[in-house]
Amino acid sequence: MEYWKDQHEPIIAFLKLFDKAKQDQELFEGLKKVNQLIWFDYTEDGPDCSFYVDCRNGQVTSQQGKPSEEPDLVMSLSADDAHRSWSNKLNPVMAITRKKIRVKGSATGLLKLAPKLKKVALIYEQALNELNFSEKILK
Amino acid sequence: MFGNTGKIVWVDLDESAAQIRTLPDSYYTRFIGGAGLAAKIFWDFGDFHAAPLSPQALLIFMNGPFAGLKLSGCSRSAVAGRSPLTGHWGDSSCGGHFAPELRYAGFDGIVLEGKSKFPCVLFVEDGLVQILPAGDMWGAGVFDTTDTLRKQFGKKSRSLVIGPAGENLVNYACIINEGHHAFGRAGYGAVMGSKNLKAIIVKSSEPRYLAADPESLDALRRELDSRIRNSVTSQVFHENGTAANLEGAVHMGDVPIRNFTSSFWEEMAEALTGSTLSESYLTNKGACAFCKIACKRVVEVKEGPFAIPKGPGPEYETIAAFGSMLGSMDLAATCKAGRLCNDLGIDTITAGSTIAWGMEAYEKSAICANDTDGIVLTWGDLDTVVKTILPDIAYKKGKLGKLLGLGSFQASATLANDSWQWLTISKGMEAPMHDPRGGGHGLALTYAISHRGACHTANPMLFMEMGACYYPEIGFEYELEPMSSENKPESALLAVQIGAIENSSCFCQFADREITIPEWVQLFNYSAGYGWGLEDMMSAGLRVFYLQRLLNYRFGLRASDDDISSRLIEPAVDGAPEGIEIDFNSMKRRFYELANLDETLGIPDHRTLESLGMNDEANLVWS
Ligand code: SF4
Repeated sequence: MEYWKDQHEPIIAFLKLFDKAKQDQELFEGLKKVNQLIWFDYTEDGPDCSFYVDCRNGQVTSQQGKPSEEPDLVMSLSADDAHRSWSNKLNPVMAITRKKIRVKGSATGLLKLAPKLKKVALIYEQALNELNFSEKILK
Repeated sequence: MFGNTGKIVWVDLDESAAQIRTLPDSYYTRFIGGAGLAAKIFWDFGDFHAAPLSPQALLIFMNGPFAGLKLSGCSRSAVAGRSPLTGHWGDSSCGGHFAPELRYAGFDGIVLEGKSKFPCVLFVEDGLVQILPAGDMWGAGVFDTTDTLRKQFGKKSRSLVIGPAGENLVNYACIINEGHHAFGRAGYGAVMGSKNLKAIIVKSSEPRYLAADPESLDALRRELDSRIRNSVTSQVFHENGTAANLEGAVHMGDVPIRNFTSSFWEEMAEALTGSTLSESYLTNKGACAFCKIACKRVVEVKEGPFAIPKGPGPEYETIAAFGSMLGSMDLAATCKAGRLCNDLGIDTITAGSTIAWGMEAYEKSAICANDTDGIVLTWGDLDTVVKTILPDIAYKKGKLGKLLGLGSFQASATLANDSWQWLTISKGMEAPMHDPRGGGHGLALTYAISHRGACHTANPMLFMEMGACYYPEIGFEYELEPMSSENKPESALLAVQIGAIENSSCFCQFADREITIPEWVQLFNYSAGYGWGLEDMMSAGLRVFYLQRLLNYRFGLRASDDDISSRLIEPAVDGAPEGIEIDFNSMKRRFYELANLDETLGIPDHRTLESLGMNDEANLVWS
């Protein structure tokens, strides 16, 4: 991994991102509209390297690992590409085309978040700062 | 012959006579099929002096080699000829159900010349061709005509129909299949109307497709169909139609607003996006023959001023053309306007763009009440658009209907004032609903170099800039940044070849992104037995691109016509592309170098043409 020292670091960062995103009214509303159970699968970088976000039923919760229920959407990629993606430095269409991101299930809900990616990147930067991961911020 | 049948129906409407003609194998291996083959037929048999709506004009319907295969995306066909909208060479593509039926009936295409002495329909059933009176269908809308034809020729028949706009020779009249699928662009509905031809009906007794290598083809077909069906894009289009990403596109600055005067309107984005259409009005999903993506929409608007019964719904272009482009975020109104355009037989892109141009011209007093018989053109007034303007255009009624029925370019020329400043065209054709300033600077280049005029389907540049293409085998590995000109001319040179392959094989651009370059070659070889290597296929694409330019050269176009309205490249005033310059001239200059195009004449040099075996064509234009 280029950006992470172990498989736990990225999950700490990404969960922090979602915690902060939930505090933001606009992103919270956006996430609720996704209305899916999504598993972000980075297990190619370690068996514990994954987390899920449950945006169903007007709530947003996130947790490390694989969800016990069948997810509506699985996004499989490397933790480094995930870092680029949340930093808004990875074109998701290009990454899917070039098989850097592999998608299983309906990505329709995620399109709702596409317009908010810039804001997500800002919040991700704050999250990295708060975690003392400032050196990981992509400029 | 494999895949193709090698046979076309050649109809002389002057004489009410038809003959079956056979095309040489080399026409197919050199010009592929569809748009490319149509260009070759016109090159050999067309009258370059014939006005688009004169009896001498040829109108050419042509299938690609894959029509009839049970594979998602390959049921499209092409129509081509001299366009009444632009005055030069053009073509248009249509999905639906006509192409496979024509192939099963034993033909690759239909060529029309002359003008019938009476309003008629052309009926092709297996080897039999008949020209029959159109009777009461002449004057009727597309939906009623389609129903009548189905009753007359049976449920299994497939038709291409024009509406009142085609009969009245509106410059951007379209041709509609099954009431839903359109040969939308460039005005070929008017060419059919000029020939007194209301409809073409085809019917076959059995689905025949003779493949060169049936076993290999079947394995490849299954693999591709499964991959196409399961791709992320397909699933998104299936669920929410081609407007699925309208919201994201607004934030990129790709969606034109009020005649391209603005690049951002957040409220509209959610109001018009595909998921809103699904939630509000969708009743069913529709599809072209054999397509598992099923991106088409069937909608019903139950109440309100724009109520419509269950039927064909709008796709992205129509939603943007009658929504954001006209300053409206009324989704029901776009459904109604789209439905009306289908029934009247009008291209929604040129209609929406021309009305948008009219609204801006009215706002800026370049059109006044005297030019409109008192009709007021106001942004967002879809009520007037639906009740008055669209019917007036189709029937060429009143001053406004006659003016807007010309299309924006010819209308502006008629006014002879500064309204040309607000055109959004290239080569006389209105740009589709993708703004190059946000959608991608390469689009500005490919709009300008497209043979038919501003067009996003002539080649896959839009998808390339989005990141949806990856063709390492031919050198397309660029990670393009939409709002930059870097690597765009290089990409455009590949795009025009792939675009020519897509439009000549008549493959849907929403489906074929999943096909790799080696698989394209296999598909041609297993189905039609072209015996190609990768280079042969790419050369065929380039040959078609050049031939289309040579046709335009003979219609009088030159390098200076590879241009684009300033509105489409001036810095945007808001949104993501705000203030960013498009370096159009440098991109064009570089593209010309890469494609060996003469900087004055706009055509390839003699040697380049010779290298593609186009010696006769080269001798003719360079003599
Ligand atoms: S993706 Fe849509 S337009 Fe293309 S072939 Fe399928 S149904 Fe037709």
